[in-house]
Amino acid sequence: MTTETPVVRLDGVRKEYGDTVALDGVTLEIRAGEAVAVMGPSGCGKSTLLNMIAGLDKPTAGEITVHGERLDTMNETKLSLFRRHHLGMIFQFFNLLDDLSALDNVALAAQLTGSSAGTARRRALELFDELGIATRRNVYPAALSGGERQRVAVARALMNRPALLLADEPTGALDSKAGEQVMDLLLDLNQIGQTLLIVTHDERLAHRCASRLVELADGQVARESALDRV
Amino acid sequence: MSAVWTASRAAVRRRRVQTFVIFLVVLVCTATALISVALLDAARSPFQRAFDGQNGAHSVVTYDPAKVTDERLTAATTGVEASAGPFGQVIVEPQNDVGPVFSQPLTVVGRADPGGAVDRVDLWHGRWPSAAGEIVLNEPPQPDEDLSMGPLAGVTELVTNGKTLRIVGFAFTVSGSADGWVTPAQVAALHPTGTQMLYRFTGDVSTHDALAARVSGVTTGLPGDALLAAQPYLVTKEEAAAGPGVYLPFLGTFGILGLLVAVIIVGNVVSGAVVSGFRHIGVLKALGFTPRQVVAVYLTMVSVPAVAGAILGTGLGWAAVRPMLTETFRGLGFGQDAAVQPWVITVVLLGVPSLVLIAALLPALRAHRLSAAQAISAGSAPRRGRGLRVQRALSGSRLPRAVSLGLGLPFARPARTALTMASLLLGVVTVTFALGLSDSVIRISEVGEIAAGDIGVRPMRGDEQPASQRSDTEIEQMLRALPGTSQVGVGVARDLSVAGQSEPLMINFVRGDTAAMGYEQQLYEGHWMTAPDQLVLPTQLLNERGLEIGEKVTVSLQGAWTTFTIVGETVRGLPGPEGAFATWRDFPDLDPAAFFYQVQTVEGTDLGAFTQSIRAADPGLDAWDNTGGDSFSTVVTGFAAVLALLLATVAALGVLNTVALNVTERRRDLGMLKSIGMTPRQVVSMVVTSMAALGVIAGLLGIPLGLAAHRLVVPLSADAAKIRLPEYVMQVWDPATLALLAFSGVVIAVAGALIPARAAARLTIARVLHNE
Repeated sequence: MTTETPVVRLDGVRKEYGDTVALDGVTLEIRAGEAVAVMGPSGCGKSTLLNMIAGLDKPTAGEITVHGERLDTMNETKLSLFRRHHLGMIFQFFNLLDDLSALDNVALAAQLTGSSAGTARRRALELFDELGIATRRNVYPAALSGGERQRVAVARALMNRPALLLADEPTGALDSKAGEQVMDLLLDLNQIGQTLLIVTHDERLAHRCASRLVELADGQVARESALDRV
Repeated sequence: MSAVWTASRAAVRRRRVQTFVIFLVVLVCTATALISVALLDAARSPFQRAFDGQNGAHSVVTYDPAKVTDERLTAATTGVEASAGPFGQVIVEPQNDVGPVFSQPLTVVGRADPGGAVDRVDLWHGRWPSAAGEIVLNEPPQPDEDLSMGPLAGVTELVTNGKTLRIVGFAFTVSGSADGWVTPAQVAALHPTGTQMLYRFTGDVSTHDALAARVSGVTTGLPGDALLAAQPYLVTKEEAAAGPGVYLPFLGTFGILGLLVAVIIVGNVVSGAVVSGFRHIGVLKALGFTPRQVVAVYLTMVSVPAVAGAILGTGLGWAAVRPMLTETFRGLGFGQDAAVQPWVITVVLLGVPSLVLIAALLPALRAHRLSAAQAISAGSAPRRGRGLRVQRALSGSRLPRAVSLGLGLPFARPARTALTMASLLLGVVTVTFALGLSDSVIRISEVGEIAAGDIGVRPMRGDEQPASQRSDTEIEQMLRALPGTSQVGVGVARDLSVAGQSEPLMINFVRGDTAAMGYEQQLYEGHWMTAPDQLVLPTQLLNERGLEIGEKVTVSLQGAWTTFTIVGETVRGLPGPEGAFATWRDFPDLDPAAFFYQVQTVEGTDLGAFTQSIRAADPGLDAWDNTGGDSFSTVVTGFAAVLALLLATVAALGVLNTVALNVTERRRDLGMLKSIGMTPRQVVSMVVTSMAALGVIAGLLGIPLGLAAHRLVVPLSADAAKIRLPEYVMQVWDPATLALLAFSGVVIAVAGALIPARAAARLTIARVLHNE
């Protein structure tokens, strides 16, 4: 279900931290509807690449275009607004707010865009239904299992119908059963057209959910290959 | 290098922001504490300090020179620790006008120099008399500008017994041994009627009886009738107590507030620093640090910035309080530069770091008991949310989400919020109290100023100019006709014998606009005179004489006994010695120079030019500027402003610390919020809102407490000064001021929260989220 329109385009992106070169002239495109897995050894620049695409960090050189907009030229506020409307993120450690219920954690993303509390909660409830965690909506993060927490995090990422869903080691903190559930979820999302970029060490996740694999080594794209989903 | 020191150094380096906050808080708190304690100490015994500074005389004794020789006086040393004298002494009656201060008969003593073993007179202006025809007058020190503008401005000579003495300086004795000093040769020429001895005694001098016994001891062996008078220092001390007493509650309250805020903030900051380091404590334990070593690491980590802050804060406080105390004591009229006592510096320098250690010790001991695993999980494991109902209610509200999230933050850390709230509350109370106090003091001062008139006028002979030849009516008319004149009051003071009392009563007979100039306004009981046989008395005079409204006083007036009824009580009398008010009477035989005039000018009038215009209109008149506020109001408002500002800063630093800790602890949450699209501005507004909410509550709670403190302390001060206050002095609050004060809590909170909030907005999301 991919199209030729690139959702993400990186052109000669370089990122330096002092003397360390984290990314060294990365050029990459992700088309709408694609599910791309980024893999590579520790320190190869996977997380840096994800941060660049998410607008969480700025490149030292090169251009980053996401959903038709140049992120490398945006200031902090514009980047925030861009993330709010066009990107969804899932983290290894979920990053839920302990003081908010599962439902409020998810509704929060919509409320930041200006939606009323009622509207945000209704949309959040739809997602809770879709993700099979409706019964856990009023539970606080400390009382949720790892898999449930990650589903809540996915729901939050999807609240504003993002053009691109970024996942950073989404199964890294989960047991195998919960990891399987999250993989199924990501696969389902991609199959209904959600563009995915997954940074992972987990080959099973990559082969299960991604249609293309980008391998990084020493900050450069070492190899790109199409994947047959298992 | 020991492992403890290595770990401590690493902790200090790793937590630069927190270390800096501790340093800053301890610095400001130490400065505040030093000012507060120095203030309490100075206010405790100002007379004693001045007395000790001058080696004051326990007793000023006057002997009859006809009955005892100087040699015998010098030889009488029973029970004497130190003495000065014998000095020739004479009472002189000023025959020229030397202003209201020196209008009474003056005790003049012949002294070769101001120093000596006892009663080291403070020569604060000019020089000591060195030749015949020169005199130094006794007057508390005052700034040069006051001297050149005040009632002493035109005082250059004293005429007595046909002799003219040129005033060559002003000096001050806290023992009250003389009104003026001349050379021994000069006093001999004035035919002294007494011989003065100044004594400091050994043994008990704390009571009048004890002092009488000491004097009796030293006079044993002298002719029985040689002793004319003995003035114990306790009399001067008791008189002085009424003046400085005014300051005690004001300054004491500020001192206590300062210490309280310092203790709370230091406790908050330090315990927060230790609690936020629990994870590190766990790591240290896992490495093999013993529980004692862990406690030592944390105490060392906190002590380094605390000791640095305490040393610098002591220096800062010392530098700030010295000029303030000097100004205070000058205002109190004790003529000394008040130094900060060494014990104050020692107590603060050791006390504040000790307080820091105690504050750090409590949570560190908790860390001492925790297992490594517990400590690590206490610092890093997901915790159960707090204030969940509030969060839920807020998330459903119509408020912008950044604001509603901010409002919920204080509920996540209730203990820390309570401490922050306490410091904010104290900040608001201080600001409210300081504002009320300043306003009340200004009102008290304004009453005096308004009543005293902007300009004082008196017929006076200058060096080359005879006194005005105009009659009092002509002078009044001339003053009323001057451009810029608003009101004119005319008065004449008479010392009148009172039937049944040995001490005369001074009555100021007034006419013109005297009542309207403010004296009537400051009545707080009774009414202004409506008949010639009525008197209005200032409170101090009523108290001293044991009189009340409605009582009758019979005085000898113009050769006949005349009875007056007291009909009103007022805060203050005319400038100079306290006297009663009565309506005008004609005194046909009186020297025109005895009349004085008070002129209230139209607002905006250039008082310097106006004074010149009076002198130009009649060179035989002396005119001086009475405005500028008295030292009382200057000192109290000055202290109020400085301490309120310091305490508000300390409170803001407490907020800064809380927010810095919150931001550190919630970095992950902040990173996540930014990752889902919260803008930097929203982050700032969320963090600032969390404290502003506390500021609002502190404002609402602090104002009533500040009002209560004002309502309690101002009347206490007035009681100490033996005056009562008219109610309008207390009615300083209006809705606009209260609204402004309610805002002060928010201002302190926002000021403290802004810097860490901006730091939170600048957090690098990638680092925060991926380093967990």
